[in-house]
Amino acid sequence: MVLTLLKESIVFAWGALVANKLRTFLSLLGITIGIFAIITVFTIVDSLERNIRGSVQSLGDNVVFVMKWPWTFGPDYPWWKYMNRPVPEYSELAEVQRKAKSIDAIGFRIGTRKVLKHNNNTIENALVSGWSYGYGQVKSFEIVDGRYFREDEAEGGYNVVMLGHTLAEGLFPNNEYPIGKTIKVAGRNCKVIGLFKKEGESMLGNSMDNQAVVPYNFARLFMDVKSENSDPFIAAKAKPGVTNAQLKDELTGIMRSIRGLKPLADDDFALNETNLLSKNFDGLFDIVGIAGAIIGGFSILVGGFGIANIMFVSVRERTNIIGIQKSLGAKNYFILAQFLFEAVFLSLMGGIIGLLLIYGLTLAADGVIDMEITLTRSNIILGLTISVLIGIISGFIPAYGASQLDPVEAIRTN
Amino acid sequence: MAQVTRPKDIRIVTIIALILVLLAFPMLFTPSIKRMGDFIPMVLGIIITMQFVSLIGIWHMKQWGVQLFIIMFCIRVITFMFLDLYEFRFFFNIFYSLTFIVFFLIHYRKMDTNL
Repeated sequence: MVLTLLKESIVFAWGALVANKLRTFLSLLGITIGIFAIITVFTIVDSLERNIRGSVQSLGDNVVFVMKWPWTFGPDYPWWKYMNRPVPEYSELAEVQRKAKSIDAIGFRIGTRKVLKHNNNTIENALVSGWSYGYGQVKSFEIVDGRYFREDEAEGGYNVVMLGHTLAEGLFPNNEYPIGKTIKVAGRNCKVIGLFKKEGESMLGNSMDNQAVVPYNFARLFMDVKSENSDPFIAAKAKPGVTNAQLKDELTGIMRSIRGLKPLADDDFALNETNLLSKNFDGLFDIVGIAGAIIGGFSILVGGFGIANIMFVSVRERTNIIGIQKSLGAKNYFILAQFLFEAVFLSLMGGIIGLLLIYGLTLAADGVIDMEITLTRSNIILGLTISVLIGIISGFIPAYGASQLDPVEAIRTN
Repeated sequence: MAQVTRPKDIRIVTIIALILVLLAFPMLFTPSIKRMGDFIPMVLGIIITMQFVSLIGIWHMKQWGVQLFIIMFCIRVITFMFLDLYEFRFFFNIFYSLTFIVFFLIHYRKMDTNL
């Protein structure tokens, strides 16, 4: 019984929509634009968030970084307190390593922009990083060809280099095999021993694709290790079962003793961890998400008004048909369902078209932007939900009005 | 079918309730709700939409409107409790919904029993 009524309502609704194709198209256009706007914003925000979280996680979530500047942001950032701090030094690494009990791996890293050259191929401003041997156990990365440098190469400051995907492509453009070849790093000959796996663009700018990694003891020959521009830091990874808070407590004690700080003196170093970055980004993404919701919300609102308007017109046009249906025994809920289905169907169609447009856009963006933009399941569900609910909200009042019509008066209407 | 006259207080309360329900709709898009799960915005959206429908019924002085509003209020409270949303809006929602229900129940007997 219910299914028959449902089927009849759908058939009536479909008939009305097909009979007025232009009107149907124009009214679903509002919802299409609304869903397109709101879900596009969410898709982009989600993709950016995923990319940044991936970049942050590649730094390691159980890693504490000893640095000069803390990773906190905001208007009350007391930069004048931090600017006179010394930068972490390689000599401190050995001390920390010797004294710390809760460290699984520890490394030192510096980096600066230098020129890379191979035959006639030159890359200006390439990010050259100098890693201590242990940093390779702290940072997560993959080598697709060749190898990581050996401990003796690191200690001895051998002139060996590992290249990121983009740099390798730039220096060896014609599918030339780079391993074993010699390139110039800041004017010094360097043998390529490894290639990093392609990672794609990173919002934090820490993608391995654009990095050339050399042993720290080689890097210090052409980098100013005491300069802030080299961005030196010590990275310590906690042993399994050791929390970041425990590791930070231990590192604080060790660093204070290394630097000979008096008991009441402030720390002259910062202990940063990736969740500090995540927290800062959470706030940012929330703001972008809310802004997107407001913009998209207004578009949806306009679309909803469009559907409500069309439904009122539709009820008005079919008033005498409603009268005939009711006089032949149609119940109020049948009339209500008929118009409600029409509104929901219109809205849902608009939503589906909007989602298809976004899907097309993500496919088109795939080849243009070096970042994965995907229409997620949660955004598809949200888009369809909003479409159906807007259909119900905008269609209920006209549909209910139609269901309450007096059959005699409705038949008389021209 | 005789039309039941809409009392002034029902008119005012329904308009306020409609505004509050429609203002709750953008809540579905907030990142905090999205993070709770794929289907949470859908569940909350259905509750808000049903509350809207119930208020249209109350506006037309129909008993089903009051019944639907009370059912949706209970479902909303249970859902918020399941989601651990014990925040200001939760208690504010209980407060104003209960106030509206009292007003609706005062006029319940005068309302139409049909759809």
